[in-house]
Amino acid sequence: MLRVWGRINSVNVKKVMWCVGELGVPFERIEAGMEHGVVGSAEYQSMNPNARVPTIDDDGFVLWESNAIVRYLSLKYGLGTLCPKDQRQRADSDRWMDWSTAQLAPTFREVFWGTVRTAPEKRDLALIEKNRAATAKTLDIVDALFAKRPFVSGDHLTMGDIPLGCHVHLWMSMPIERPAHPSLTAYHKRLLGRPGFNAGVNTPLS
Amino acid sequence: MLKVWGRANSSNLKKVTWLCEEMGLPYERIDAGMAFGVVGTPEYRKLNPNGLVPTIDDDGFILWESNAIVRYLAAKHSAGKLWPNDLEARADSDRWMDWCAATLWPAFRPVFWNRIRTPAEKRNQAEIDAGIKSTGEVLSRLDARLAGRKFVGGEELTMGDIAFGPIVYLVQNVMPEKPNLPNYEAWYSRISERPAFRKTVALPIA
Repeated sequence: MLRVWGRINSVNVKKVMWCVGELGVPFERIEAGMEHGVVGSAEYQSMNPNARVPTIDDDGFVLWESNAIVRYLSLKYGLGTLCPKDQRQRADSDRWMDWSTAQLAPTFREVFWGTVRTAPEKRDLALIEKNRAATAKTLDIVDALFAKRPFVSGDHLTMGDIPLGCHVHLWMSMPIERPAHPSLTAYHKRLLGRPGFNAGVNTPLS
Repeated sequence: MLKVWGRANSSNLKKVTWLCEEMGLPYERIDAGMAFGVVGTPEYRKLNPNGLVPTIDDDGFILWESNAIVRYLAAKHSAGKLWPNDLEARADSDRWMDWCAATLWPAFRPVFWNRIRTPAEKRNQAEIDAGIKSTGEVLSRLDARLAGRKFVGGEELTMGDIAFGPIVYLVQNVMPEKPNLPNYEAWYSRISERPAFRKTVALPIA
């Protein structure tokens, strides 16, 4: 059975949990990271030298890097659904995974850590605000995209929605000021209607 | 013919041009970004709402995000070579593209930015020192990976090496304070001696 290492409150683990939920692949999740430890052990680091989560073991094939895991699982178990068969449509979906990592995650992370994982008296409010404003501006791009299509690459959920959707959910759930972003809000509602999303992503923030 | 927008010395553009040269794929490059402008025009923003380079137009198919472009073009023109056909071998190469973007580049970026893009009197030495330390640490993981391997994916050059090329070219030329990394250095010699690398990646740094 597919084994997944990682704590469920990690945005990168959420990507994998949602992906396997959509694909209906049986899996076993093993707690690791932060208060659970494990990632510092020599055993874990022989699988993943970065000592980060998630890591998967798919019948002896060990893989880390959450987006690479989502691509691998989507292609293996979801060709024609999460992984589009058409080369252009696949690339169209794929780029939003890179976009979420490169454009969205760096500023988002500062807001999330500052707001959710830092005690109120220790927060750097100026840093949080600077990154909140930058993240809001980056999200303008996908708000415009979802005015034209329900999911990143068209009418159906694909792998490109997964990293983005995980970030959008955390963004919409944090106690922060947000622009209206009506199309992005409607997208988030669409995701909340999916059992796989609710099981894998819609868990308490911590 | 494939059109590629981006200034020649952009690291993300270089991934695309190096790939095209390795595959012998003809392309037309259009200068854009930084001193060349273009990326702020409404015409360009229609192609790429991020206002970044590179963007490609492949017979009417517009794509951006450099790693997604590399995956798309390698799958289309180099299946079985730069884009491994075996699912596990492909994911194994693929994850290093994500790792380069999400782990190596954030560690190294402050060193590059301060030393190359910041006037001497405004450089932040603490950022440089921290960047040197973490870059050395993450490169040691790449060094361990390359033990017994000629390239990131194994015996042959794959897309995983392509994503690294422009970044490690900067590391080699901007950060002499590296730990001793024999496997990494041998790999760098192998990739940097390739004619396609010399033509597209080994350009003056600015």
